[in-house]
Amino acid sequence: MPAWAQPDGPVANDVDAAFYTGAALGTLDGLVRSEPEWAGSWRQRLALKCAVAAVRLAGRSEEEAALRDAWYLRPSGGDPGPAGSILGAWRYLASRPPAIDAEGLAQVSEWLGLRPDGAYGKLAETVEELAAGDRPAPLAAAAIASYVVARRPDAELLAWWLADLVLARKLRWPRPVPLLAAQLYSSAFRSGDGRGKRVRPGDPAFERAVCVALAVGAGDGLRLALDIARRADRLAAATPKLRAKGAGEAIRRLLDDDAVPSSLSTRNLSRFAARRLFERLQTFEAVRELSGRASFRLYGL
Amino acid sequence: MTEARRKENDQPALLDTELEHLPPELRWREWMGRVEAVIFAASAPVPREMLVRIIGKNCNLDLIIDDIRAELAGRPYELVSVAGGWQHRTKKAFADAIRAATGQVDMGRSLSQSEVLVLMCIAYFQPITRGELTAFFGKEVSRDLIGVLRSHDFIASGPRSPTPGAPYTYVTTKMFLSQFGLDTLRDLPDFEALEDAGLLSKEQLLAGNVSLGLGGVGEADQSED
Repeated sequence: MPAWAQPDGPVANDVDAAFYTGAALGTLDGLVRSEPEWAGSWRQRLALKCAVAAVRLAGRSEEEAALRDAWYLRPSGGDPGPAGSILGAWRYLASRPPAIDAEGLAQVSEWLGLRPDGAYGKLAETVEELAAGDRPAPLAAAAIASYVVARRPDAELLAWWLADLVLARKLRWPRPVPLLAAQLYSSAFRSGDGRGKRVRPGDPAFERAVCVALAVGAGDGLRLALDIARRADRLAAATPKLRAKGAGEAIRRLLDDDAVPSSLSTRNLSRFAARRLFERLQTFEAVRELSGRASFRLYGL
Repeated sequence: MTEARRKENDQPALLDTELEHLPPELRWREWMGRVEAVIFAASAPVPREMLVRIIGKNCNLDLIIDDIRAELAGRPYELVSVAGGWQHRTKKAFADAIRAATGQVDMGRSLSQSEVLVLMCIAYFQPITRGELTAFFGKEVSRDLIGVLRSHDFIASGPRSPTPGAPYTYVTTKMFLSQFGLDTLRDLPDFEALEDAGLLSKEQLLAGNVSLGLGGVGEADQSED
């Protein structure tokens, strides 16, 4: 991303903010459309970053590592607990095309721990209207967030979740890229020189804050993508040296997901074989151990 | 019951939901009747999605529920919203009468003081393991106690804790919300106060910085239909 597309310091007016967000999203758009093979792992890691901020907004204290543990160590189909469910909602966002109906909204609200409400059908319609309308993508995202919070002040989590969905919809991305929620506690959403109160959806300066946050978020996303692309290259270089029969599927999982538990077992790969495989990959420095533990290890790019 | 069963077989086409042939008042009464019948026939709280299927497209379910509630005002039972749905429940004032007549012990009442305490601790600090609970209470939280909570279906296994032995953590269930008359976990008493004090974390709990305001814990709403 060119340096001129990133704000360096507080942004004074709406036009500046719009310029930055347009330039940044334009750069990101090329990457999203080229759909590299490691895109899955990139999206899921961005989802994790968003979930960390969302969990904080929900008043809980779980950090990245705790969220990852809750998600990957749960029994299959089991309940990951309230914080883990919030991560689940953002993972769901990052893994499906950007369309939502009333039923999907009810499910997501349940994951986010919100009180159920009757107007999901209306909300889904509003999402469709905004997606079909002629407002530019960042402003449509800001509009849906303001709309949700105006109707239900307790549903701010859902507002952020939908904002990323509407953004992807407007930009015609095949799958949403979770960007906005990760900036929730950054200076983009602080009023007055980035030090004042948090700007909430519906505030007068909200649209500008969303634009700045998207510019910063897109920059962060691109940096993360560069890092993951480098690691994916190293993984590709190490792949021919692997001898395990089921290695292909393990590699696929590494490229598709944020982390893979070392106890992974598939049809061609027992959990012992998986463990040996990951340890060998680690000696090639093709994967990292993400949890920092000697047991219950989680591997990822 | 027939209506509920028909719905589960996925044949909504057989049911005329719009009721175009009826005048508006009668139509509204019919919708009210349907909604109340479905809630009455169900053994668990009925979620909104299920009710929306039996009323017209332009019908506001919340207004229907309000009308039913207004009609039930003088009756000994009411329509309460719990665990993301609605359920008929007898009013709390009649709990003693029901207990005296049936000799039945209320499920909530059959929990001992320590079981309620452990349950509340799990609710606030889930996912949490038995070992961590033991460390917090300073005395062994037995497997039996966890078993009792589990047999009431108040808790379920969450993710495994990445500590030696990979113990399961415990999380609360929908049944817990329904029994204690909560809509979401945020409705737990003093949740916001704990949150503002930054005490809603397991590290703080184990460091001994948390008191749960234990006086009020046993008084949660435990009425049942």
